[in-house]
Amino acid sequence: MTDITRSGFRAKSKFGKTGGKAVQYILIAIALFWTLAPIYWMLSTSFKSELEATRLDPTLFPEAPTIANYVGLAGSSMPFFQFFLNSVLSCLLAAIVAVIIAVPAAYALSRAKFRAANSVGYIILVVRMFPMVVLLAPLYLVLLNTGLLNTLFGLVVGYTTFGLPFAVWMLKGFIDAVPIEIEEAARVDGYPRWQVLLRIVIPLIYPGLITTGIFVLMEAWNNLIYPLTFITDINKQTLPAALVLTFTGQFKTDWGGMMAAATITTLPLMVAFFAVQRSMVRGLTAGSVTGT
Amino acid sequence: MARIRIENVEKDYGALTVLHDCSLEIQNNEFIVLVGPSGSGKTTLLRLIAGLEPISRGDLYFDDTRVNNLDVSDRDIAMVFQNYGLYPHMSVFDNMAFGLRRRGLAKLEINEKVRRTAELMNLQDFLERKPKQLSGGQRQRVALGRAIVRDPEVFLLDEPLSNLDAQLRVQMRSEILRVHRSVDATAVYVTHDQVEAMTMGDRIVVMDNGRIQQVGTPEELYDRPENIFVASFIGTPAMCFLEAKTNGDKLLTDGGDLPLLPDHRERIGEREHVTIGLRPEHLLVGEGRPTVSGVVEVVEMLGAELIVHFTTGSHTLTVRLPRGEKYRPGDQVKFGVTMDQLHFFDRDTGQAL
Repeated sequence: MTDITRSGFRAKSKFGKTGGKAVQYILIAIALFWTLAPIYWMLSTSFKSELEATRLDPTLFPEAPTIANYVGLAGSSMPFFQFFLNSVLSCLLAAIVAVIIAVPAAYALSRAKFRAANSVGYIILVVRMFPMVVLLAPLYLVLLNTGLLNTLFGLVVGYTTFGLPFAVWMLKGFIDAVPIEIEEAARVDGYPRWQVLLRIVIPLIYPGLITTGIFVLMEAWNNLIYPLTFITDINKQTLPAALVLTFTGQFKTDWGGMMAAATITTLPLMVAFFAVQRSMVRGLTAGSVTGT
Repeated sequence: MARIRIENVEKDYGALTVLHDCSLEIQNNEFIVLVGPSGSGKTTLLRLIAGLEPISRGDLYFDDTRVNNLDVSDRDIAMVFQNYGLYPHMSVFDNMAFGLRRRGLAKLEINEKVRRTAELMNLQDFLERKPKQLSGGQRQRVALGRAIVRDPEVFLLDEPLSNLDAQLRVQMRSEILRVHRSVDATAVYVTHDQVEAMTMGDRIVVMDNGRIQQVGTPEELYDRPENIFVASFIGTPAMCFLEAKTNGDKLLTDGGDLPLLPDHRERIGEREHVTIGLRPEHLLVGEGRPTVSGVVEVVEMLGAELIVHFTTGSHTLTVRLPRGEKYRPGDQVKFGVTMDQLHFFDRDTGQAL
């Protein structure tokens, strides 16, 4: 009797285990499909001819794969390499500027004992709460009056404005995780505060700097509304904005060409993401581990 | 050369005052230990001396210079932190050389000093390693080495041994003393362990509740505690206390009557109630002395000796006995009291009489 009960129980628990695993895999599969399907569709469409791309019964795989769209991009009258360069330059610069400004701010917020430290931190974060569009008009006026409208540097200012609060908060988390005794030891060793920041804190949060920079960069890279608004000269346009401007016409959209361009736009971002993936995971969990 | 003078120093955190009216003079080359339970303010006092926290009221002098407003980086001090505070991204060599580089020493000189200190601390084989590749004891030695390589005037140590196991702690204790003797510096050492304080300090500062309770040599604190707190904090097993009522030439206690000597009468004065302090070694087996009696509660075998805890009414007393005596919990016992060694404390204020 006991044997039967026990084996029955075991069978049930075994089923429960496999059942649970199955549910797990199904959920993961759904999540994967959700994220990867658009990327697949972009890739697959970029290899389709114009006719196939706009068929009423869309094909899952390109029937006659062609690289015509990519060749078209290279030979097009539009300066795609220039767009790419504009994107890289403005986003990279925005990431660097944001991190450079954010480090001392985050350090002050993390270590300072002044009474308003907390409220200042939240005020910085409030900028994040606004929809990007709300900042558009004031930024436009600022750029207009400083003569930075329609310049890449103006774009950098725009990206930085939106990326900075996030960068400050993210870096604050990294700095919080550095034990204060390490800094105090350096102070006792005779170093003034700013040197402690440079020689001790920054080397210790190095992965955090990279991670934060990548986050700001990714956000800037995907930003569509700022370049569309601030840049009027097509030669100074960034990739995402150029895609919209050049491939969507009033009567016809070149889907194949657009997807080819989109692929090229996404690729650097993916490469950047995988390159820092390890330090990113470390970065996001840094605050949860005590000690060094 | 550094004499440290602390005058009426107080420290507030917001509305809370954590240090009250602390005054202390530390002599040049002295090894002084701040000891007390957690929350007694000993680490705060050390951090004030270091300059890591601002002083709320009072004055701090190094020799005759007031240093209240001198930045920590400009005080010639070295500090060893409880959790070491090593620079994780630097090698052992760089950890030790970091402070010397700040002082603008030549590369050769830095090299020489670090290697000599590394030898002193037995670290010469680990100079290229990072802190995370070292054991706890080795890290502690790096932290110590980093402090002494600077050749500072003042050495501050904040519970440096509390993260080590018991055996290593004893070993490091003598190592720290040996190092202190070999350098010309004043040392302030914080610990919550009274054994550490007794074995290491030239003088000991006992702290409780943000106040200095007593300052003195280990012998002074042990033989002449100024109040009940110091009496109960210094010594293992701790001093025991017995409430007594005076009656003519007698002291009436739960454990029996004790004779009141002329010297006792002088100390007690007109008080009717008094607290008697008894060290475990002042209770003896054998005849010919006034006795206290009670019931054995716990017997601790320590190898060479026995510690017997027994109760008399509402009090528990402790006696230290040579091995061989046989006692069991529940036994009725009687111990002789060395009357000339009694401590008396005011029942209300806790001050020694």
